[in-house]
Amino acid sequence: MQDTTWRIGFVTAFPPGRNSLNEFGFHFVNHMASADGVDALVVLADDTDAGPPDVSEIRANNPNATVEAEAVWSFNDAANPLRILRAVRRHKLDAVIINLQFATFGDGKVPGALGLLTPAALRAAGVPTGLILHNLADNVDMQDAGFTDSAVMAAVMNKAGRVLTRALLLSDYVALTIPRYVEFVRDSYGAKNVLLVPHGSFEEMEEPTFGIPDGPKRKILAFGKWGTYKTVDVLVDAFRDLIGRGYEDLELVIAGTDSPNSPGYLDSIAAGCSDLDNVTFTGYVAEEDVAELFTSSAVTAFPYTSTTGSSGVLHQAGSYGRSAALPDIGDFTEVIEEEGFIGQYFTPGDASSLADSLAKLLDDEELNAEHGERNYLAASGIPMAEICDWHITHLNRVIEQK
Amino acid sequence: MQIETVSHRQDDAVDDATPSEETWACRILGRFDAHESEQFRSYFEEAVSQGTKTFIVDLSEVDFVDSTALAELVRAMKQLRQEAGNLILRRPSNAVRIILELTKLDQAFTIEAAA
Repeated sequence: MQDTTWRIGFVTAFPPGRNSLNEFGFHFVNHMASADGVDALVVLADDTDAGPPDVSEIRANNPNATVEAEAVWSFNDAANPLRILRAVRRHKLDAVIINLQFATFGDGKVPGALGLLTPAALRAAGVPTGLILHNLADNVDMQDAGFTDSAVMAAVMNKAGRVLTRALLLSDYVALTIPRYVEFVRDSYGAKNVLLVPHGSFEEMEEPTFGIPDGPKRKILAFGKWGTYKTVDVLVDAFRDLIGRGYEDLELVIAGTDSPNSPGYLDSIAAGCSDLDNVTFTGYVAEEDVAELFTSSAVTAFPYTSTTGSSGVLHQAGSYGRSAALPDIGDFTEVIEEEGFIGQYFTPGDASSLADSLAKLLDDEELNAEHGERNYLAASGIPMAEICDWHITHLNRVIEQK
Repeated sequence: MQIETVSHRQDDAVDDATPSEETWACRILGRFDAHESEQFRSYFEEAVSQGTKTFIVDLSEVDFVDSTALAELVRAMKQLRQEAGNLILRRPSNAVRIILELTKLDQAFTIEAAA
Protein backbone atom coordinates (compact mmCIF):
# COMPACT_ATOMS: atom_id res chain seq x y z
CA MET A 1 0.00 0.00 0.00
CA GLN A 2 2.95 2.30 0.61
CA ASP A 3 6.64 2.50 -0.16
CA THR A 4 7.91 4.15 3.02
CA THR A 5 8.15 2.33 6.31
CA TRP A 6 8.47 3.73 9.80
CA ARG A 7 9.70 2.91 13.26
CA ILE A 8 6.53 3.26 15.25
CA GLY A 9 6.34 3.56 19.04
CA PHE A 10 3.26 2.42 20.92
CA VAL A 11 2.73 3.71 24.45
CA THR A 12 0.44 1.34 26.30
CA ALA A 13 -0.26 -0.76 29.35
CA PHE A 14 0.90 -4.22 28.39
CA PRO A 15 0.87 -7.80 29.70
CA PRO A 16 1.97 -9.32 31.95
CA GLY A 17 1.09 -6.03 33.65
CA ARG A 18 -2.60 -5.83 34.44
CA ASN A 19 -3.30 -2.13 34.13
CA SER A 20 -6.36 -1.01 32.21
CA LEU A 21 -6.20 -1.33 28.39
CA ASN A 22 -3.44 -3.96 28.55
CA GLU A 23 -5.53 -6.37 26.46
CA PHE A 24 -6.24 -3.75 23.78
CA GLY A 25 -2.51 -2.96 23.84
CA PHE A 26 -1.59 -6.60 23.30
CA HIS A 27 -3.97 -7.14 20.38
CA PHE A 28 -3.10 -3.83 18.74
CA VAL A 29 0.61 -4.67 18.85
CA ASN A 30 -0.10 -8.19 17.61
CA HIS A 31 -1.65 -6.81 14.43
CA MET A 32 0.31 -3.57 14.04
CA ALA A 33 3.60 -5.48 14.01
CA SER A 34 2.97 -6.82 10.51
CA ALA A 35 1.06 -3.86 9.10
CA ASP A 36 2.15 -2.31 5.82
CA GLY A 37 4.30 0.71 6.56
CA VAL A 38 5.74 -0.55 9.84
CA ASP A 39 9.47 -1.20 9.73
CA ALA A 40 9.69 -1.81 13.48
CA LEU A 41 7.24 -1.55 16.32
CA VAL A 42 8.54 -0.53 19.73
CA VAL A 43 6.23 -1.11 22.69
CA LEU A 44 6.77 1.56 25.35
CA ALA A 45 5.06 -0.31 28.15
CA ASP A 46 4.26 0.22 31.80
CA ASP A 47 6.76 -0.93 34.41
CA THR A 48 4.86 -3.27 36.75
CA ASP A 49 5.58 -5.84 39.43
CA ALA A 50 4.39 -8.56 37.04
CA GLY A 51 7.62 -8.37 35.06
CA PRO A 52 8.90 -6.86 31.82
CA PRO A 53 6.58 -6.54 28.81
CA ASP A 54 6.25 -9.92 27.15
CA VAL A 55 6.18 -9.85 23.34
CA SER A 56 7.25 -13.47 22.81
CA GLU A 57 3.82 -14.54 21.58
CA ILE A 58 3.62 -11.53 19.28
CA ARG A 59 7.03 -12.33 17.81
CA ALA A 60 5.91 -15.91 17.25
CA ASN A 61 2.75 -14.67 15.51
CA ASN A 62 4.73 -12.20 13.37
CA PRO A 63 8.00 -13.97 12.48
CA ASN A 64 8.96 -11.42 9.84
CA ALA A 65 8.25 -8.38 11.97
CA THR A 66 10.57 -6.42 14.24
CA VAL A 67 8.96 -5.99 17.64
CA GLU A 68 10.82 -4.48 20.56
CA ALA A 69 9.51 -3.75 24.03
CA GLU A 70 10.71 -1.78 27.02
CA ALA A 71 9.05 -0.82 30.29
CA VAL A 72 9.48 2.95 30.29
CA TRP A 73 6.70 4.41 32.45
CA SER A 74 5.01 3.61 35.73
CA PHE A 75 1.52 4.07 37.10
CA ASN A 76 1.45 7.23 39.27
CA ASP A 77 4.93 8.44 38.29
CA ALA A 78 4.88 12.20 37.71
CA ALA A 79 7.95 11.86 35.46
CA ASN A 80 6.15 9.74 32.85
CA PRO A 81 6.07 12.37 30.06
CA LEU A 82 9.81 12.90 30.41
CA ARG A 83 10.54 9.16 30.62
CA ILE A 84 8.47 8.47 27.52
CA LEU A 85 10.03 11.33 25.55
CA ARG A 86 13.51 10.04 26.39
CA ALA A 87 12.53 6.53 25.27
CA VAL A 88 11.14 7.86 22.00
CA ARG A 89 14.46 9.59 21.30
CA ARG A 90 16.51 6.58 22.43
CA HIS A 91 14.63 4.28 20.06
CA LYS A 92 14.78 6.84 17.22
CA LEU A 93 11.07 6.55 16.52
CA ASP A 94 9.44 8.19 13.50
CA ALA A 95 6.02 8.39 15.11
CA VAL A 96 4.17 7.37 18.25
CA ILE A 97 0.66 6.13 19.00
CA ILE A 98 -0.62 6.32 22.57
CA ASN A 99 -3.27 3.96 23.95
CA LEU A 100 -5.04 5.98 26.58
CA GLN A 101 -7.91 6.46 28.94
CA PHE A 102 -8.02 9.19 31.54
CA ALA A 103 -6.58 7.11 34.39
CA THR A 104 -3.89 5.37 32.32
CA PHE A 105 -0.96 7.16 33.92
CA GLY A 106 -2.25 7.18 37.48
CA ASP A 107 -5.14 7.53 39.88
CA GLY A 108 -3.26 10.23 41.82
CA LYS A 109 -4.42 13.65 40.65
CA VAL A 110 -0.96 15.11 39.97
CA PRO A 111 0.77 12.14 38.29
CA GLY A 112 -2.44 11.18 36.49
CA ALA A 113 -2.81 14.69 35.09
CA LEU A 114 0.86 15.11 34.24
CA GLY A 115 0.78 11.83 32.34
CA LEU A 116 -1.95 13.21 30.13
CA LEU A 117 0.50 15.90 29.00
CA THR A 118 2.57 13.20 27.25
CA PRO A 119 1.00 13.70 23.80
CA ALA A 120 1.58 17.46 24.02
CA ALA A 121 5.19 16.88 25.10
CA LEU A 122 5.82 14.53 22.19
CA ARG A 123 4.27 16.83 19.67
CA ALA A 124 6.22 19.80 21.04
CA ALA A 125 9.34 17.72 20.51
CA GLY A 126 8.35 17.27 16.87
CA VAL A 127 7.31 13.64 17.15
CA PRO A 128 4.23 12.80 15.02
CA THR A 129 1.75 11.59 17.63
CA GLY A 130 -1.55 9.78 17.34
CA LEU A 131 -3.79 9.12 20.30
CA ILE A 132 -6.34 6.35 20.79
CA LEU A 133 -8.63 7.82 23.43
CA HIS A 134 -11.00 5.29 24.97
CA ASN A 135 -13.10 7.62 27.09
CA LEU A 136 -13.88 11.29 27.62
CA ALA A 137 -13.58 13.13 30.91
CA ASP A 138 -16.80 14.95 30.03
CA ASN A 139 -18.71 11.67 30.26
CA VAL A 140 -17.29 10.44 33.56
CA ASP A 141 -19.34 10.95 36.71
CA MET A 142 -16.38 11.63 39.02
CA GLN A 143 -18.34 10.81 42.18
CA ASP A 144 -19.85 7.61 40.85
CA ALA A 145 -16.53 6.48 39.42
CA GLY A 146 -14.94 6.75 42.87
CA PHE A 147 -12.56 9.62 42.17
CA THR A 148 -14.11 11.82 44.87
CA ASP A 149 -16.91 11.86 47.44
CA SER A 150 -17.54 15.60 47.10
CA ALA A 151 -19.86 17.20 44.55
CA VAL A 152 -17.74 20.37 44.62
CA MET A 153 -14.58 18.41 44.00
CA ALA A 154 -16.36 16.49 41.22
CA ALA A 155 -17.18 19.80 39.52
CA VAL A 156 -13.57 20.94 39.91
CA MET A 157 -12.36 17.65 38.48
CA ASN A 158 -14.70 17.98 35.52
CA LYS A 159 -13.25 21.44 34.80
CA ALA A 160 -9.77 19.99 35.11
CA GLY A 161 -10.86 17.18 32.80
CA ARG A 162 -11.76 19.68 30.13
CA VAL A 163 -8.39 21.38 30.48
CA LEU A 164 -6.65 18.02 30.17
CA THR A 165 -8.80 17.07 27.20
CA ARG A 166 -7.53 20.23 25.50
CA ALA A 167 -4.00 19.05 26.27
CA LEU A 168 -4.74 15.66 24.72
CA LEU A 169 -6.10 17.42 21.65
CA LEU A 170 -2.58 18.75 21.04
CA SER A 171 -1.83 15.33 19.55
CA ASP A 172 -1.56 15.34 15.78
CA TYR A 173 -4.70 13.23 15.65
CA VAL A 174 -7.04 11.89 18.28
CA ALA A 175 -8.92 8.71 17.43
CA LEU A 176 -12.19 8.06 19.23
CA THR A 177 -14.07 4.82 18.85
CA ILE A 178 -17.62 6.20 18.88
CA PRO A 179 -19.14 8.55 16.26
CA ARG A 180 -21.09 10.69 18.71
CA TYR A 181 -17.92 11.32 20.75
CA VAL A 182 -16.18 12.60 17.63
CA GLU A 183 -19.06 14.97 17.00
CA PHE A 184 -19.12 16.03 20.66
CA VAL A 185 -15.40 16.86 20.80
CA ARG A 186 -15.53 18.70 17.51
CA ASP A 187 -18.51 20.77 18.68
CA SER A 188 -17.51 21.27 22.31
CA TYR A 189 -13.79 21.88 21.84
CA GLY A 190 -13.69 23.10 18.25
CA ALA A 191 -11.19 20.33 17.54
CA LYS A 192 -10.37 19.58 13.91
CA ASN A 193 -7.93 16.74 14.51
CA VAL A 194 -10.44 14.31 16.01
CA LEU A 195 -11.57 11.36 13.97
CA LEU A 196 -13.40 8.08 14.20
CA VAL A 197 -11.47 4.83 14.26
CA PRO A 198 -13.64 1.93 15.43
CA HIS A 199 -12.50 -0.25 18.33
CA GLY A 200 -11.84 -3.29 16.16
CA SER A 201 -12.23 -6.94 17.02
CA PHE A 202 -9.35 -8.56 18.85
CA GLU A 203 -9.26 -11.83 16.96
CA GLU A 204 -10.46 -13.12 13.64
CA MET A 205 -12.40 -16.03 14.99
CA GLU A 206 -14.50 -18.70 13.48
CA GLU A 207 -18.18 -18.14 13.98
CA PRO A 208 -18.96 -19.28 17.52
CA THR A 209 -21.85 -21.43 18.68
CA PHE A 210 -24.75 -19.23 19.71
CA GLY A 211 -27.20 -19.82 22.53
CA ILE A 212 -26.85 -21.60 25.83
CA PRO A 213 -23.97 -24.12 26.02
CA ASP A 214 -24.55 -27.63 27.29
CA GLY A 215 -23.49 -28.35 30.81
CA PRO A 216 -24.71 -29.24 34.20
CA LYS A 217 -24.83 -25.55 35.15
CA ARG A 218 -25.92 -22.49 33.20
CA LYS A 219 -23.31 -19.82 33.87
CA ILE A 220 -23.97 -16.11 34.32
CA LEU A 221 -20.72 -14.27 33.67
CA ALA A 222 -19.65 -10.81 34.81
CA PHE A 223 -16.15 -9.75 33.80
CA GLY A 224 -14.27 -6.56 34.60
CA LYS A 225 -12.41 -4.45 37.12
CA TRP A 226 -14.85 -4.06 39.96
CA GLY A 227 -15.67 -1.67 42.75
CA THR A 228 -16.54 1.80 41.47
CA TYR A 229 -19.33 2.30 38.94
CA LYS A 230 -18.85 -1.32 37.96
CA THR A 231 -20.14 -3.19 40.99
CA VAL A 232 -21.48 -6.69 41.45
CA ASP A 233 -23.58 -6.17 44.59
CA VAL A 234 -26.76 -5.86 42.54
CA LEU A 235 -25.78 -8.86 40.46
CA VAL A 236 -25.36 -11.03 43.55
CA ASP A 237 -28.78 -9.84 44.76
CA ALA A 238 -30.27 -10.65 41.36
CA PHE A 239 -28.68 -14.09 41.53
CA ARG A 240 -30.28 -14.70 44.93
CA ASP A 241 -33.57 -13.57 43.40
CA LEU A 242 -33.21 -16.11 40.58
CA ILE A 243 -32.37 -18.92 43.01
CA GLY A 244 -35.50 -17.94 44.93
CA ARG A 245 -37.52 -18.17 41.71
CA GLY A 246 -36.46 -21.80 41.35
CA TYR A 247 -33.49 -21.53 38.98
CA GLU A 248 -31.40 -24.23 40.61
CA ASP A 249 -28.96 -25.00 37.78
CA LEU A 250 -27.21 -21.62 37.77
CA GLU A 251 -23.66 -20.62 38.53
CA LEU A 252 -22.56 -17.01 38.94
CA VAL A 253 -19.01 -16.38 37.71
CA ILE A 254 -17.50 -13.07 38.79
CA ALA A 255 -14.29 -12.70 36.80
CA GLY A 256 -11.59 -10.07 37.08
CA THR A 257 -10.04 -8.01 39.83
CA ASP A 258 -10.67 -4.98 42.00
CA SER A 259 -10.57 -1.57 40.36
CA PRO A 260 -7.41 0.32 41.42
CA ASN A 261 -9.78 2.77 43.18
CA SER A 262 -11.42 -0.01 45.24
CA PRO A 263 -8.91 -2.40 46.75
CA GLY A 264 -10.57 -5.18 48.75
CA TYR A 265 -13.94 -4.75 47.07
CA LEU A 266 -14.29 -8.29 45.74
CA ASP A 267 -13.16 -9.79 49.05
CA SER A 268 -16.01 -7.96 50.76
CA ILE A 269 -18.48 -9.26 48.16
CA ALA A 270 -17.17 -12.81 48.55
CA ALA A 271 -17.58 -12.56 52.31
CA GLY A 272 -21.15 -11.35 51.84
CA CYS A 273 -22.18 -14.29 49.68
CA SER A 274 -20.26 -17.06 51.42
CA ASP A 275 -23.59 -18.80 52.02
CA LEU A 276 -23.96 -19.35 48.25
CA ASP A 277 -21.95 -22.34 47.03
CA ASN A 278 -22.52 -21.65 43.32
CA VAL A 279 -20.73 -18.30 43.09
CA THR A 280 -17.21 -18.37 41.69
CA PHE A 281 -14.61 -15.61 41.87
CA THR A 282 -11.92 -16.26 39.27
CA GLY A 283 -9.58 -13.38 40.06
CA TYR A 284 -7.40 -12.19 37.17
CA VAL A 285 -8.13 -14.08 33.96
CA ALA A 286 -5.09 -14.80 31.80
CA GLU A 287 -5.40 -14.16 28.07
CA GLU A 288 -5.40 -17.86 27.24
CA ASP A 289 -8.34 -18.50 29.56
CA VAL A 290 -10.62 -15.76 28.25
CA ALA A 291 -12.19 -17.78 25.43
CA GLU A 292 -13.29 -20.62 27.68
CA LEU A 293 -14.62 -18.12 30.21
CA PHE A 294 -17.00 -16.63 27.64
CA THR A 295 -17.90 -19.67 25.54
CA SER A 296 -18.93 -21.65 28.62
CA SER A 297 -21.35 -18.90 29.70
CA ALA A 298 -25.08 -18.85 29.03
CA VAL A 299 -25.36 -15.09 29.43
CA THR A 300 -23.15 -12.14 30.34
CA ALA A 301 -24.15 -9.45 32.82
CA PHE A 302 -23.05 -5.81 32.95
CA PRO A 303 -24.21 -4.51 36.35
CA TYR A 304 -22.92 -0.99 35.78
CA THR A 305 -24.50 2.09 37.34
CA SER A 306 -22.82 4.54 34.98
CA THR A 307 -20.40 4.20 32.13
CA THR A 308 -17.52 6.00 30.50
CA GLY A 309 -18.35 5.06 26.94
CA SER A 310 -18.70 1.76 25.20
CA SER A 311 -17.56 -1.46 26.80
CA GLY A 312 -14.49 -3.48 25.92
CA VAL A 313 -15.98 -6.43 27.77
CA LEU A 314 -19.13 -6.20 25.65
CA HIS A 315 -16.90 -6.35 22.57
CA GLN A 316 -15.30 -9.49 23.98
CA ALA A 317 -18.67 -11.02 24.83
CA GLY A 318 -19.80 -10.26 21.28
CA SER A 319 -16.67 -11.85 19.83
CA TYR A 320 -17.73 -15.09 21.49
CA GLY A 321 -21.38 -14.76 20.45
CA ARG A 322 -22.74 -14.15 23.93
CA SER A 323 -26.00 -12.45 24.84
CA ALA A 324 -25.91 -9.68 27.43
CA ALA A 325 -28.02 -8.22 30.21
CA LEU A 326 -27.24 -4.51 29.95
CA PRO A 327 -28.10 -1.47 32.07
CA ASP A 328 -30.55 0.91 30.46
CA ILE A 329 -28.31 3.98 30.77
CA GLY A 330 -29.31 6.42 28.06
CA ASP A 331 -25.92 7.33 26.66
CA PHE A 332 -24.55 3.80 26.99
CA THR A 333 -27.57 2.25 25.29
CA GLU A 334 -27.35 4.65 22.37
CA VAL A 335 -23.62 4.15 22.00
CA ILE A 336 -23.66 0.37 21.96
CA GLU A 337 -26.69 0.20 19.66
CA GLU A 338 -24.91 2.56 17.28
CA GLU A 339 -22.14 -0.03 17.25
CA GLY A 340 -24.68 -2.75 16.39
CA PHE A 341 -24.88 -4.50 19.78
CA ILE A 342 -28.10 -5.54 21.44
CA GLY A 343 -28.96 -6.28 25.07
CA GLN A 344 -31.76 -7.36 27.33
CA TYR A 345 -32.01 -4.14 29.30
CA PHE A 346 -32.57 -3.66 33.03
CA THR A 347 -32.95 -0.66 35.32
CA PRO A 348 -29.50 0.19 36.76
CA GLY A 349 -29.22 -0.62 40.44
CA ASP A 350 -32.44 -2.69 40.47
CA ALA A 351 -31.71 -6.33 41.33
CA SER A 352 -35.20 -7.51 40.45
CA SER A 353 -35.04 -5.84 37.05
CA LEU A 354 -31.61 -7.43 36.41
CA ALA A 355 -33.01 -10.82 37.45
CA ASP A 356 -35.88 -10.35 34.97
CA SER A 357 -33.42 -9.62 32.14
CA LEU A 358 -31.28 -12.64 32.99
CA ALA A 359 -34.35 -14.88 33.28
CA LYS A 360 -35.55 -13.73 29.85
CA LEU A 361 -32.26 -14.69 28.23
CA LEU A 362 -32.05 -17.97 30.16
CA ASP A 363 -35.64 -18.99 29.38
CA ASP A 364 -35.79 -18.03 25.70
CA GLU A 365 -33.02 -19.93 23.91
CA GLU A 366 -34.02 -18.52 20.54
CA LEU A 367 -33.76 -14.95 21.82
CA ASN A 368 -30.46 -15.78 23.54
CA ALA A 369 -29.01 -17.12 20.28
CA GLU A 370 -30.37 -14.19 18.25
CA HIS A 371 -28.79 -11.66 20.62
CA GLY A 372 -25.52 -13.61 20.61
CA GLU A 373 -25.39 -13.56 16.82
CA ARG A 374 -26.17 -9.84 16.64
CA ASN A 375 -23.43 -9.13 19.16
CA TYR A 376 -21.02 -11.34 17.24
CA LEU A 377 -21.66 -9.42 14.02
CA ALA A 378 -21.17 -6.11 15.85
CA ALA A 379 -17.95 -7.24 17.53
CA SER A 380 -16.46 -8.88 14.48
CA GLY A 381 -17.25 -5.93 12.23
CA ILE A 382 -13.73 -4.70 11.61
CA PRO A 383 -10.69 -6.85 12.42
CA MET A 384 -7.98 -5.17 14.46
CA ALA A 385 -5.53 -5.66 11.57
CA GLU A 386 -7.61 -3.28 9.46
CA ILE A 387 -7.91 -0.80 12.31
CA CYS A 388 -4.11 -0.74 12.37
CA ASP A 389 -4.14 0.09 8.65
CA TRP A 390 -6.39 3.05 9.38
CA HIS A 391 -3.89 4.32 11.96
CA ILE A 392 -1.01 3.90 9.52
CA THR A 393 -2.99 5.91 6.96
CA HIS A 394 -3.43 8.74 9.46
CA LEU A 395 0.18 8.61 10.67
CA ASN A 396 1.39 8.79 7.07
CA ARG A 397 -0.66 11.90 6.53
CA VAL A 398 0.79 13.49 9.67
CA ILE A 399 4.38 12.51 8.85
CA GLU A 400 4.06 13.84 5.31
CA GLN A 401 2.72 17.15 6.62
CA LYS A 402 5.65 17.60 9.08
CA MET B 1 -28.88 -3.05 -0.05
CA GLN B 2 -29.03 -3.47 -3.75
CA ILE B 3 -25.93 -3.62 -5.86
CA GLU B 4 -26.08 -2.87 -9.55
CA THR B 5 -23.19 -4.11 -11.58
CA VAL B 6 -23.72 -1.15 -13.82
CA SER B 7 -20.64 -1.56 -15.86
CA HIS B 8 -17.64 -3.58 -16.46
CA ARG B 9 -15.39 -3.51 -19.41
CA GLN B 10 -15.78 -1.36 -22.44
CA ASP B 11 -19.20 -2.29 -23.69
CA ASP B 12 -21.11 -1.44 -20.57
CA ALA B 13 -20.09 1.97 -19.27
CA VAL B 14 -21.36 3.63 -16.15
CA ASP B 15 -22.50 7.16 -16.84
CA ASP B 16 -19.59 9.25 -18.02
CA ALA B 17 -16.87 6.89 -16.88
CA THR B 18 -14.07 6.25 -19.27
CA PRO B 19 -13.99 2.52 -19.02
CA SER B 20 -11.37 0.21 -20.23
CA GLU B 21 -10.85 -3.47 -20.02
CA GLU B 22 -9.32 -2.90 -16.62
CA THR B 23 -12.22 -0.85 -15.24
CA TRP B 24 -15.16 -2.32 -13.40
CA ALA B 25 -17.88 -0.43 -11.64
CA CYS B 26 -20.93 -0.89 -9.50
CA ARG B 27 -23.62 1.23 -7.94
CA ILE B 28 -24.79 0.59 -4.40
CA LEU B 29 -28.34 1.50 -3.43
CA GLY B 30 -29.93 1.83 0.03
CA ARG B 31 -28.20 0.49 3.15
CA PHE B 32 -24.56 -0.47 3.07
CA ASP B 33 -23.68 -2.06 6.41
CA ALA B 34 -22.09 -5.06 8.14
CA HIS B 35 -24.93 -7.38 7.24
CA GLU B 36 -24.92 -6.44 3.58
CA SER B 37 -21.31 -5.90 2.59
CA GLU B 38 -20.80 -9.53 1.58
CA GLN B 39 -22.48 -8.91 -1.75
CA PHE B 40 -20.13 -6.03 -2.50
CA ARG B 41 -17.13 -8.16 -1.57
CA SER B 42 -18.20 -10.98 -3.90
CA TYR B 43 -18.51 -8.63 -6.87
CA PHE B 44 -15.25 -6.90 -6.06
CA GLU B 45 -13.42 -10.22 -5.73
CA GLU B 46 -14.79 -11.26 -9.08
CA ALA B 47 -13.45 -8.05 -10.60
CA VAL B 48 -10.03 -8.58 -9.03
CA SER B 49 -9.92 -12.15 -10.27
CA GLN B 50 -10.52 -10.80 -13.77
CA GLY B 51 -7.51 -8.52 -13.40
CA THR B 52 -9.21 -5.17 -12.94
CA LYS B 53 -6.98 -2.25 -12.03
CA THR B 54 -9.65 0.38 -11.49
CA PHE B 55 -12.86 -0.22 -9.61
CA ILE B 56 -15.49 2.50 -9.43
CA VAL B 57 -18.11 2.46 -6.69
CA ASP B 58 -21.06 4.76 -7.27
CA LEU B 59 -22.36 5.72 -3.81
CA SER B 60 -24.85 8.39 -4.84
CA GLU B 61 -27.85 6.25 -3.87
CA VAL B 62 -26.60 5.02 -0.49
CA ASP B 63 -28.83 6.23 2.35
CA PHE B 64 -27.01 4.53 5.26
CA VAL B 65 -23.44 3.34 5.65
CA ASP B 66 -21.67 2.09 8.78
CA SER B 67 -18.01 1.80 9.65
CA THR B 68 -17.93 -1.90 8.78
CA ALA B 69 -19.02 -1.17 5.22
CA LEU B 70 -16.50 1.65 5.09
CA ALA B 71 -13.86 -0.85 6.18
CA GLU B 72 -14.91 -3.00 3.22
CA LEU B 73 -14.09 -0.08 0.92
CA VAL B 74 -10.75 0.54 2.68
CA ARG B 75 -9.90 -3.14 2.27
CA ALA B 76 -10.72 -2.96 -1.44
CA MET B 77 -8.68 0.23 -1.87
CA LYS B 78 -5.68 -1.36 -0.18
CA GLN B 79 -5.95 -4.51 -2.27
CA LEU B 80 -6.06 -2.59 -5.53
CA ARG B 81 -3.25 -0.22 -4.60
CA GLN B 82 -1.03 -3.18 -3.81
CA GLU B 83 -1.56 -4.14 -7.47
CA ALA B 84 -0.89 -0.57 -8.63
CA GLY B 85 -4.59 -0.05 -9.19
CA ASN B 86 -7.14 2.18 -7.50
CA LEU B 87 -10.61 2.29 -6.04
CA ILE B 88 -12.67 5.33 -6.93
CA LEU B 89 -15.66 6.48 -4.91
CA ARG B 90 -18.09 8.21 -7.22
CA ARG B 91 -20.58 10.84 -6.05
CA PRO B 92 -20.82 9.81 -2.39
CA SER B 93 -24.21 10.66 -0.90
CA ASN B 94 -24.48 12.84 2.21
CA ALA B 95 -24.64 9.74 4.43
CA VAL B 96 -21.39 8.50 2.94
CA ARG B 97 -19.74 11.91 3.05
CA ILE B 98 -20.51 12.19 6.78
CA ILE B 99 -18.74 8.97 7.71
CA LEU B 100 -15.86 9.67 5.35
CA GLU B 101 -15.42 13.01 7.07
CA LEU B 102 -15.83 11.56 10.58
CA THR B 103 -13.07 9.07 9.89
CA LYS B 104 -11.05 11.53 7.78
CA LEU B 105 -10.71 8.76 5.24
CA ASP B 106 -11.93 11.23 2.63
CA GLN B 107 -8.24 12.16 2.53
CA ALA B 108 -7.24 8.59 1.69
CA PHE B 109 -9.75 7.68 -1.02
CA THR B 110 -9.93 8.96 -4.55
CA ILE B 111 -13.32 10.62 -4.70
CA GLU B 112 -15.15 11.78 -7.81
CA ALA B 113 -17.64 14.45 -6.92
CA ALA B 114 -20.79 15.22 -8.88
CA ALA B 115 -20.18 16.41 -12.40
